[in-house]
Amino acid sequence: MGAGRHERARVRGAQQRSTADLEALFEAHWPRAFRAAYLVTHDAAAAEDIAQEAFLSAIRNLDRFDRRRPFGPWLHRIVVNRAIDWTRARRLRAEVELGESQPAAENPRPPGEDVLAALARLPPEHRAVIVMRYLLELTPGEIAEALGLPRGTVNSRLRRGLDRLGEEL
Amino acid sequence: MKRELEEVRIAGEEEARERVRAVVLSAFGEREPAPRSSRWPRVAAVAVALAAIGAAALSSPGRAVIDELREVVGVKRAQPALFSLPAPGRLLVSSDAGVWVVEQDGSKRLLGDYREASWSPFGRFVVAAKENELTALEPDGDVRWTLSRPGVRSPRWTGTETDTRIAYVDRTGLRVVAGDKTGDRLLVAGFRGPFAWSPGPGFVLAHTGSRGRMVIRDAESGRVLARSGEGAVPRELVWSDDGTRLLARAPFSVRLLDGRGRRVTEEGPSDGTRAIGNAFRPGTREVVEIRRAGTGSNVFRWGDGRSLFRGTGVFDDLAWSPDGRWLLVSWPTADQWVFVRATGARRIRAVASVSEQFRSRSFPRIEGWCCAR
Repeated sequence: MGAGRHERARVRGAQQRSTADLEALFEAHWPRAFRAAYLVTHDAAAAEDIAQEAFLSAIRNLDRFDRRRPFGPWLHRIVVNRAIDWTRARRLRAEVELGESQPAAENPRPPGEDVLAALARLPPEHRAVIVMRYLLELTPGEIAEALGLPRGTVNSRLRRGLDRLGEEL
Repeated sequence: MKRELEEVRIAGEEEARERVRAVVLSAFGEREPAPRSSRWPRVAAVAVALAAIGAAALSSPGRAVIDELREVVGVKRAQPALFSLPAPGRLLVSSDAGVWVVEQDGSKRLLGDYREASWSPFGRFVVAAKENELTALEPDGDVRWTLSRPGVRSPRWTGTETDTRIAYVDRTGLRVVAGDKTGDRLLVAGFRGPFAWSPGPGFVLAHTGSRGRMVIRDAESGRVLARSGEGAVPRELVWSDDGTRLLARAPFSVRLLDGRGRRVTEEGPSDGTRAIGNAFRPGTREVVEIRRAGTGSNVFRWGDGRSLFRGTGVFDDLAWSPDGRWLLVSWPTADQWVFVRATGARRIRAVASVSEQFRSRSFPRIEGWCCAR
């Protein structure tokens, strides 16, 4: 049975109130949902709240979910949009982001620190498309649909985001 | 790139997963049960739900969500709408719909599609920001002038009856412009952190520097007047009305400095609690603070530690009435505003459905409570 069929079976099971299937869906999608939220917000507590709220939203809407569609992108769209909203709100409050606030680190830096610091210097909208493309492995078309953007905008954000990351790294 | 994104280390990832899993399972167990043929699956589901609720109750996010699901959060006898403010003055509020002025009689006016705003001295004008525009307008919505700048945020107005300045941040850094739109110039290049005007004479502001230092700077000459020692990088700066005290709030450290940047005292939550907001009571050096601890939040007074208001979930903003008698606490978890009378016998007045009243998906922010006319 392919991964897609496995997932459809789990969604069907969860719709029929199977806790085991819901738990399997949680285990399958939690790591990426939490990581995606963290990479956009750079705040572990916010990422936890956002991922949690996305799963709760998924549960609330489970009965209306079309099993022919993949569950992951549906969940990740909720996560990334909320993460963008949260990050914009924090910027409006002039809160200092982690990447800006940390003093210069001593070498060697832990794995991933460089890319995290470079991501922090991108606008949240650019961060989001990078995370959706390279962590969640969505196509530009899927990202455009999830964020309600023209595909050209997604492509230009990806290109500019990658260029800036390349410069930073 | 994928590998690098997957390698980023996130502190507490495993604990977060366990907390959220408990909450998700408990919420799943609380759904309306589907028709079923056997009683045993139902018994099992209830057992799982009870176990999950028990587990969730041990974690703060879990407890908060369960409370939310049961709709027990909030002041019970809250007014369904904001019929009036309990003290003279006007509120400035920002929501998804834009920036609003709320009069003392509770009437509201949407000034426009701005993202944030603040009052001018004496509340005569409002300065508001859009993505690429700074706007000065009257409280009735009439625009006095606009200034196009990239990525405008955090506009703050200061000055006397005859001479004022507005500081704001854009993509170039911290900038200052006169209240009549003249003399716009860059004060601190590349600056993005919090800043606050000093209420004292002249045009002096405090902003964050490297390694959590506070820099006190003359905005006219650009000269640095004082620097504090290093500390936690603050997310918010607040001056007392007399300009002799500066609060620098970081989540786990709140420093109180004097007007020369010397440390007076420091509150360092060491028990896992977080400082969410601080405010000086008008005309005094009395500090109140929102502290988030576990499943709830508490507003308390420094010094005697007296709690003014506490509740389940998250409190967000604080604003004193101009006369210093009432404290407005925003409570997103309950979708309420709570007015707490801080003098004499304690009284509470709560207002429900705040988001809906300001046509907002996210919880509206209190930008300021200013100036009785």
